[in-house]
Amino acid sequence: MFGSPLGSNVARTTSYKVVIPFYAYGAIAFLAAAVLLLTSTSSFGGHWFQPQLLAITHLMALGWATMIILGASHQLVPVLIENDLYSNKLAYASFGFGAAGIPLLVHGFFTFNLGWPAQLGGVLVVCAVLAFTANIAASISRSKRENVHAVFVFTATIWLLLTVLLGLALLFNFTTSLLTRDSVHYLALHAHLGLVGWFLLLVLGVGSRLIPMFLISKYTNPRLLWAVFILVNTALVLYGLGFLYGMAPVLNYVPALLVLAGLLLFAHYCRRAYAERIRKKVDDPMKASLLAVGMLLLPSLVLIVLIGALLSSAGGHATLVLLYGFTIFFGWLTAIILGMTFKTLPFIVWNKIYRHRAALGKMPSPKDLFSHRVYKAMGLTYLAGFILFGAGILSGAPLLLRAGAGVLLLAAVLYNWNVGKLLTRKPFNK
Amino acid sequence: MSEADEHEERISKAIAGLKFVDDPEVGLNVVDLGLIYELDVKEEEKKVICLMTFTTEFCPMGESILANVTESLKMTLPGYAPEVTVTFDPAWRQDMISEEGRQFLGGY
Repeated sequence: MFGSPLGSNVARTTSYKVVIPFYAYGAIAFLAAAVLLLTSTSSFGGHWFQPQLLAITHLMALGWATMIILGASHQLVPVLIENDLYSNKLAYASFGFGAAGIPLLVHGFFTFNLGWPAQLGGVLVVCAVLAFTANIAASISRSKRENVHAVFVFTATIWLLLTVLLGLALLFNFTTSLLTRDSVHYLALHAHLGLVGWFLLLVLGVGSRLIPMFLISKYTNPRLLWAVFILVNTALVLYGLGFLYGMAPVLNYVPALLVLAGLLLFAHYCRRAYAERIRKKVDDPMKASLLAVGMLLLPSLVLIVLIGALLSSAGGHATLVLLYGFTIFFGWLTAIILGMTFKTLPFIVWNKIYRHRAALGKMPSPKDLFSHRVYKAMGLTYLAGFILFGAGILSGAPLLLRAGAGVLLLAAVLYNWNVGKLLTRKPFNK
Repeated sequence: MSEADEHEERISKAIAGLKFVDDPEVGLNVVDLGLIYELDVKEEEKKVICLMTFTTEFCPMGESILANVTESLKMTLPGYAPEVTVTFDPAWRQDMISEEGRQFLGGY
């Protein structure tokens, strides 16, 4: 290479134009979900199957968590598979379908009008996932080498596709008799395919690569990661088969314990990577991501108590189901996204602005592109809101629920402020 | 100063310049991070040859680091055309970080 800015053997990263819309959309969805939470606290006193709760759950699952993860995946999958993303057009299509479909679907749940607008929303969400799946499959198939992280990501994508296809069938089943039982019967299956198959598997696959990479750790252990992969997928298959063929309720413990074993192995992997790191000073977003790994244990424990409550026919199932969902969507998933946003987005923005400004002297580093004071305030308000709202669900105290939702809304505002600061960054901002 | 001394001085100058090029994620310069495998100045051809790597084969910051290394060589050795090649053989390992780099990152 002679005077060329890019060597022929240097791969290009995914364009920021592909990735940034997903982050912006996710941030707004989080804010909207926090507003809905604050205005729907009375729904947390009763049964979990309520329009407002379905709307919040789908806004958190699709608008917030899935959109951010899809955006980050378009950037991170090339790092995992060490090859370019197959198609930017498919990525744009995935964003467009998702961005249009999610509000239609969420509005349909909120008003509990599951007619054609909500159904169109569901179809668009499936189209978004199909575009993403095709893009990931084509990217991985062109990859030079196979690795366990890529297998995690691809398998998670397949579980996501199954989740949204089942979700679409359930949606149509509300108005047209498609399935043998009513839609509510299948919700637990739909939820766990998404939670464990999509979110958990993807976070484990990507996290197992990024955590040692960001810590500059020497630790690798593909055998342990394969064990985690087998445990989690076996749990899902057993749960799915048991659900469809009606296994004894006590057997629900088997998949739950398999997942818990997988999580403990993953926690051990993270602990070893942390212990063998070269970079001793761990930044705040990385600490938040590691904290999120620990927060995975919370819904696992709630699930085990919930299965016990279902077996013993004791009361309080509704409260435990609400707590289970809350500790996943506003707990583990939100914590990991709050952390990982500020580990990934600053680099995407930095690459966009400063990549070709090498001759201009000392440049700010990616971590200088957002406010660390606002980040810390966001972290503290998030933790306070999470604890208050969780306590509100357990105690049924409306005041705690409102206070928790109010503080979580403040955390969402601070998150949006910092994301906005990043996205509107100009080259010479102070 | 002999030609050999001048040659060595130019190499030292180029390395000193590269110490201002950071890996943006790690915050450590590319020399102490161990990304620079070889650096030589071809006096007759008026070229500065650099063989380097990234911490991972699909480093999201690779394009930027490469541009900065090239720019740094241009600025420290004007009149010498930079020829930067990226290799992943051998792949970068943590033990390639210099002692100074380890101290910067917190040391063992």
